[in-house]
Parts: sequence; structure tokens; C-alpha cells
Amino acid sequence: MSTTGSGGNKPKRSFTPLIQVFEPHKAQTPPLIPYFKEFWERRAFALELARFADKAEYLESRLGKAWLILNPLFLSLIYFLLVTVLRGGPNKDTGLSTLAHILIGIFMFYFAQNIISDGAQSITAGGRLILNQAFPRALLPFSSAVRAFGQFWPTIPTYFAVVLLGKVFYPKTHIPLADLNYLWAPFIIAALAITAFGLSLIFAVMNVYFRDTSKLLTYTTRIWLYGSPVLWKPEMLHGWHRIFIYINPLGPTLAATYHVWIDGVRPSNSELIGTGVWVVLAMAIGTYFFTSRERDFAVRI
Amino acid sequence: MTINNSGVIRLGTSTPSTTMMTAKGYKGDILLPDDLAVRIEDLTITYKINVDTKKTLKNAVMRASKGEKVRMRQVEAVKKMSLDIPHGSVVGIVGANGAGKSTLMRSIAGIMPPTSGRIIVNGKISTLLALGVGFNQSLSGRDNIILGGLAAGLTRDEIESKTDEIAAFADLPDGFIDMPVRTYSSGMYGRVAFAVSVSMTPDILLLDEALSAGDAAFKEKSFHRMRELVEEARTILIVSHALATISDLCDTAIWMHKGTILAHGEPGKIVEEYLKFLEVGTLPSNLEDM
Repeated sequence: MSTTGSGGNKPKRSFTPLIQVFEPHKAQTPPLIPYFKEFWERRAFALELARFADKAEYLESRLGKAWLILNPLFLSLIYFLLVTVLRGGPNKDTGLSTLAHILIGIFMFYFAQNIISDGAQSITAGGRLILNQAFPRALLPFSSAVRAFGQFWPTIPTYFAVVLLGKVFYPKTHIPLADLNYLWAPFIIAALAITAFGLSLIFAVMNVYFRDTSKLLTYTTRIWLYGSPVLWKPEMLHGWHRIFIYINPLGPTLAATYHVWIDGVRPSNSELIGTGVWVVLAMAIGTYFFTSRERDFAVRI
Repeated sequence: MTINNSGVIRLGTSTPSTTMMTAKGYKGDILLPDDLAVRIEDLTITYKINVDTKKTLKNAVMRASKGEKVRMRQVEAVKKMSLDIPHGSVVGIVGANGAGKSTLMRSIAGIMPPTSGRIIVNGKISTLLALGVGFNQSLSGRDNIILGGLAAGLTRDEIESKTDEIAAFADLPDGFIDMPVRTYSSGMYGRVAFAVSVSMTPDILLLDEALSAGDAAFKEKSFHRMRELVEEARTILIVSHALATISDLCDTAIWMHKGTILAHGEPGKIVEEYLKFLEVGTLPSNLEDM
């Protein structure tokens, strides 16, 4: 394709064969197929943004990325001491399983919390970028999710190291170190990440409209932690009280986490169904809410 | 000066091409004459803004508890605008604050989709619509340039091959490209941002108040680079309150007023009329009814 510049007598030149058409959004959402196609094509940006954000955060920290493990590890120990004191002292038989449960529960919950909290701030933090470039805005919370995964995965070897050490002192503990049911773990982690990402899309939009949303999230996630089967076992709820596990978007996934990692059994059917329902709901509502409000970002940032 | 009428405005003096190009992947055939960089068809852009002083969830809940709604105002930033911009044009856009200049630029860049109407753009766009490449002050200039390029759709290899060229163009002192951006002066920051936008070899360059960065020497260098782009028949749209820049650099100008094109034509004349408006505060008599 070649054209003649016509603002004056400009020389002929080949133009990048790229015609873009910008039209009003139907039902307030952009055309979703081109949107996700572009999202996929620009994934390198989200991955690099996650990498650079990590680099910037730990650039001037003496212990650097070690904090990614130390922080949830210390927090788990504090909660373990708290739970042990509340139960009236340590129990030789259940002490290690309680510690292991709190450890994997905190690691998983923090993974989801980081996706939600960082994702919620990703749009307001990306102000200049949003005012300057056209790209699928969902890449920003996605970048936060990628970053959260990068911070999460080193905690898994840490969990195994603690359990291995515990088994040396308490060889009769029932916590498995290797089990076929661990094959469920990648699915559970993926489900938790997708649900949290869907929720982060909702909170990212809310934070654009109401700037105190991210502050509110700090307190909400703390209460959320106490209401999730992280510091308590799913079996502690009976009868209709078990509904509290299922109305919590992260509840069924965290209950499944307990059964796979601590009991070494497959998740129950109700946990799998609950997990699936929340994955679909969070992504469907999150995607619609986010894409239908994307246009507003440029005027509200 | 050409006065706006109800028809489509075509900038420049060239004869319209009859060869059409088809935009693929869109519903129906969308045709664009091959000499056009941008076609704007009956464009209207409106948006709502929250006029509450406290834009917080707490405030919204308090208002809801009293049965009050969040106070919103609808802004009609661009009104039924139709415009053809040929390749190789250097278009200056002037107008008072709130005229709709920045919204128009954002809509051409695809950042702000239309409320009604359509924009067809032929070519790769590079933008400098908000000051600064601006991602993370803790990261180096090089890291920020890489992120800016990736956001613009370039590959990492493409950007890395340009970073030294960008640093040289921005007149960064030795080694500064690898220093955190927070150590940069505001001039250096602005120069890097400008260097990034002109180094992406765009077909269409959109600049919103971006020419104020740097000293007189850098300004001359920027003008020179833009003239090079124009010689390659690339299209440039400039929003600026520096009216001398519009007169010096542009081959055509648009005066926007309350979301419409009030006048367009030779930059010197448009600037002259606009200056009269700024001094007197009322529109020229021949434009009052527009």
C-alpha cells in the first residue's frame, strides 16, 4: 500500500498497513474477541511490568526478595502461637498439622490477597500510562496477578521444608510429604488465582470511582482471613454453618487446600463444585464490570 | 480562514484520492480513501464526571443513607465532528481549556471510544498525551523506556535497539539512562518522554502540550525531528497553548471551541483570530453563531 502525503507535496512512502476503527461500545463493553486478542498479543507488557514492579519494590531492601517468604512465614508462626494459646497449649499429636495447615493456608490466602489488593490499585497507579496509551486495561490487574504468582511460588518449597523438618521431630504425624492427591494442587492454585483475579477486576474499577476502596480492602481482607478456613479446619463447621465456607468466594478453594495438603485426600465434590462456581462467577462478573467501565478510566484517573 | 459548515471538513489543499482501502475484521465494509491518515465521522464524545469533592466510598454510603445520589455532571466534550486528515499533514489544534482538544486526541489514539460516530485511523500511532513516559520513579530510564514501548505494542528487541538512540536524542548525561527516573530533572524527564514518542517511527504522532520540555536547543532539535517525520509524509497532530509553535510548525490549524471546530485553515490566520478572541473574550462576529 502506498499513499501520497497530501498535507503538502509530500513524497510517496509505504505506510504500516494498519487500519483501526474506533466505534461506540455496544452494551458499554468493547468488542470482546478483538479485546482478548489484543490482550494476548500484549501479554509481554504485563509480564515485564510485573517483573519491573518487583525489581522496583525490592531494589533498596537489604533482604530483598527474602521478605516474600519471611513475611508470611513469620505471620504463620504468630497465628500458630495465637491458635495454640487459644486452644490451651501445644498438642504433641496435632501441633505440626496445625502449623502446616496455617502455613499453607496463609501462603494461599496471601497469594489471593496480593492479587486482589495490588490489582485493585493497578488502574489508579497506572495513571499516566492510561492517559497516554490505548491497550486493554485488564493487562494492569493481570500484571499484578502475575507478580503475585511470582511472589507465591517460592513459598511452596518453604512449606515442604517446614513439614520435612517437623517430620524429623514428629515422625508419626499424618501430614503427607508426597501424595498422589497433590496432583490436585495445581488446579486448586489456578482456581484460587482466577477467582482472585476476577475479584481484582471488580475492586480495580471501584478504586477508580472511590479512592478509599484500597484502604477498605486492607481491613476487609483481614476479616476475610478470619472467616476463611485458614486458621480453623473446615470440619469445625457443622450442619447449616457450613454455608459460611461456600458463600465465601475463596472458601471452597481454601477448604480443598486443607484436604489435599494436610489430609492428603482429594477435595470433596461440594468443594470442587463450589470452587468451579466461584471461578465462573468471579470471572464473568469481574470481566463485564471491568470492560464496561474501561472507557471511564481516562476521564476519572 | 475557512468557516465550519455542516459538511465534512477536509484539511490541506490536496485533491481527495478516489482509491479506497477496506478495514477488515469489522462489521460491514468500512472504506477509507488511501490518502487519509484519519477520518472522523460525526463524532460525539460525552462522559460523566463526579462533581463531589470527596470521591470516596464512605461519602457515597453516607449520601445513600440520606437518600441522596452521587452528584454527576455530563460533559459533552466533542459534538458531531466530521474531519478528514490527509497523510503528511501537520495539524495544530488550538482552543481554550475545556474546548475538547485533549478528548479529541485521546479518541483518535483509541483511548477514549466515541459515544456516537466513528474514527478510522490508517497507520501506527504514537502518543505523548500525558507528560512523562511515567511508570515507576524507582526504575531506570532504560526500564521505563522498555515498558513504554511494550505498552505501545513494540517488541522488546525493537525497543532495546532504540534505547541508546533515545538517550542520545534526549541529551541525557552519560550513564543517566541507567539511573532511577526520580533522579532526573523535570526537563530530562520531559525530553525522554518526547524522545520515546518520536523514536517509535509512528505513521501518526499525537502530541498534547509536549513541546514545552527542554531548553531552546532541545526545542530546535524537536522541531527538526518533527520536520523529518513530516518529510517522510507522516502525520502529526499537535495540541499546544504555545501559539508560536503552531504557526511555525503546522501546515494547517484547527480552532476548537466547546467541542466543535470553530474554524480551520492556515495556521497564522487561525492563531491571529484565536488571539483576538483571547484578548477580547468574545468570539469574532462572523463566528458568534457557530
